[in-house]
Amino acid sequence: MSAPAIQAVELSRRFGAFTAVDRVSFEVEQGEIFGYLGANGAGKSTTIRMLIGLLAPSGGRATVAGHDVATAPDAVKASIGYMSQKFSLYLDLPVSENLRFFGAAYGLEGKALAARTAELLERVGLTGQGEAITGELPGGLRQRLALASALLHRPPLVFLDEPTAGVDPVARRTFWSLIRELAAGGTTVFVTTHYLDEAEYCRRIGLMVDGKLVALDTPAGLKRTWVPDQVLVARGQGLARAAEALRRLPGVKAVSPFGAALHVRVDPARLDAARVAAALAAAGAVAPAVEATPASLEDVFLAAVDRGAGGVAP
Amino acid sequence: MTRQGLRRSLVRIGAMAGKEAIHVQRDPRTLALALVMPLVMLVLFGYGVSTDVDHTRLAVADEDGSEASRALVRAFGASQEFEVVTRRPPAAAEGLFRAGDAVAALVVPRGYQRELLQGRRAEVQLLLDGADAMVANQLLAKADAIVRQESRRLAGLELAALRPPVQVRLWTQYNPAGRSAFYMVPGISAFLLAITAVMLTALTIAGEWERGSMEQLFASPVGRLEIVLGKLLPYLALGLLELQLVVAFGAVAFDVPMRGPIWLLFLTGLLFLVGMLGQGLLISVLAKNQLVATQAGTLSAMLPAIILSGMIFPVENMPLPLQLLSRVIPARYLVHALRGILLKGSGVAELWPDLLALTLFAVAVVTLATRRFKRRVA
Repeated sequence: MSAPAIQAVELSRRFGAFTAVDRVSFEVEQGEIFGYLGANGAGKSTTIRMLIGLLAPSGGRATVAGHDVATAPDAVKASIGYMSQKFSLYLDLPVSENLRFFGAAYGLEGKALAARTAELLERVGLTGQGEAITGELPGGLRQRLALASALLHRPPLVFLDEPTAGVDPVARRTFWSLIRELAAGGTTVFVTTHYLDEAEYCRRIGLMVDGKLVALDTPAGLKRTWVPDQVLVARGQGLARAAEALRRLPGVKAVSPFGAALHVRVDPARLDAARVAAALAAAGAVAPAVEATPASLEDVFLAAVDRGAGGVAP
Repeated sequence: MTRQGLRRSLVRIGAMAGKEAIHVQRDPRTLALALVMPLVMLVLFGYGVSTDVDHTRLAVADEDGSEASRALVRAFGASQEFEVVTRRPPAAAEGLFRAGDAVAALVVPRGYQRELLQGRRAEVQLLLDGADAMVANQLLAKADAIVRQESRRLAGLELAALRPPVQVRLWTQYNPAGRSAFYMVPGISAFLLAITAVMLTALTIAGEWERGSMEQLFASPVGRLEIVLGKLLPYLALGLLELQLVVAFGAVAFDVPMRGPIWLLFLTGLLFLVGMLGQGLLISVLAKNQLVATQAGTLSAMLPAIILSGMIFPVENMPLPLQLLSRVIPARYLVHALRGILLKGSGVAELWPDLLALTLFAVAVVTLATRRFKRRVA
């Protein structure tokens, strides 16, 4: 297997007495979409800034695209694309001028620059909008333009810091299809987000809580580890009366009303949907229908924040 | 640096400069600040802040009423500076000053002609409204000159045969008419260049911080010196254009001459601009937001340029501490050099200390700005 695109070893950053990133270690493989999740202030952006050579680590080390971020930040910068959290294109410039400027900043010039600009405009669906003023584009298009400007120099690795913050769901979906195309073409994508539905698109996810990396796995793996219980949704008549009886059933961990339905969290080793339905019917519910719902990353995130605060991973 | 590396670097600087030029083109306020404001200010200062004394309202109390006293009053009235507006008894002078009907009063006492005829010293009294000290001083000097002239005339008429009167000939070199516009235009140029240069650059870098694009720049291979140079170039061009505009406007509107070599004018302007742009950069590097940058830029550019540069108040008249302080104000050297080039036709031989001082300031401030411009953003 090829060398990892990113390798962080005990990477730390302190600001005075505050430790923003605390001995974080992970590897990102080439061509994977690596999601970096965490609440605001959990240390996501600080980690990215260290990885792209903007911020010197106070401890540990990291290599990005084979270059050490502490000793060769310039080599790191030349081999990555970066899209910062804050929208940072020049709003008063036309779309094509923004691309031309960032292309030249990465050393492209002349025909190569013009060709690459046109190619990227097409790729992100902005063909024909080259002369539009950037500030007049809707948010979703601006976001795609920012992505395009991070890709001009064909970096093998891109860092996207909350690329879809404040963008509507349809535009977010379009944006993620671009990210997946990118990864399919072999580009490694390191992306932070706090939209948990988006994180499902990542091959692997690192979960940051209070500066520590508390979990690192595929979305399915995270769910298995962090949400071992099965969540069942029960619908039907007379559920409220039956809920009390259900709570006393061995293997039931929690019962909570959810609209007209009940969410029942059970130990999958002891109970399943059929047995819960039977128990509900026995308790007086009329024609109960029970089905399993997959755990979401939101469940994982909440569990991790609960337990991660104590620093104990399961 | 290898050739390839240098070439890349130039491409990046060019990209920065090109981008900045588009910003300027797209922002009418920047262009107005750079090109329209100077002309407005020049008109205001050139016409408004004139220290020329012209047709000052003079009240006359001629108590003698003789041929000699009338001749003296005529001499005053014939001058460019005085205009006899009223004839009153001397006691009324203060009232006239208060009402603003006159700023000077000439009192010729009874017996003026008699004293003169008897070969004794005759005295006349000039009352001046000293509220405006600058005007009062000039009037005093002019009145003195008129009276001397009159004495000479009298001496010539009656005593020429006995002893030739001593004549003092005053000749003002470079600005014979004592026109304040001649004096002001170089000063205003310095002031305007200082303000626009500092403001423009103070805003541009602070804007990048505010927008968040600075982080994007730092994440790219563009180096900090490249950012600084790329930012400087377009504003340097704009500043030189401004200098040209101000000097040309001064020539057309106020007949300010251009006696020295024009390349020296541009060289001096260039050195000064680099220093001022560097000062603006330093401010915006430290300030990180446009509001603070604007305030600091205005204060640090405007006050020294007006007060310490010698634009209005001669440096030689300042108390020693201020004179010493003015030595680190680049505007002082520019004002001195511009007056030399425009009015005296001075060349490098006379002005090299000014050029040296401007160069030192420019190098120091750009170096400082680049150093403080932390490449790694915390």
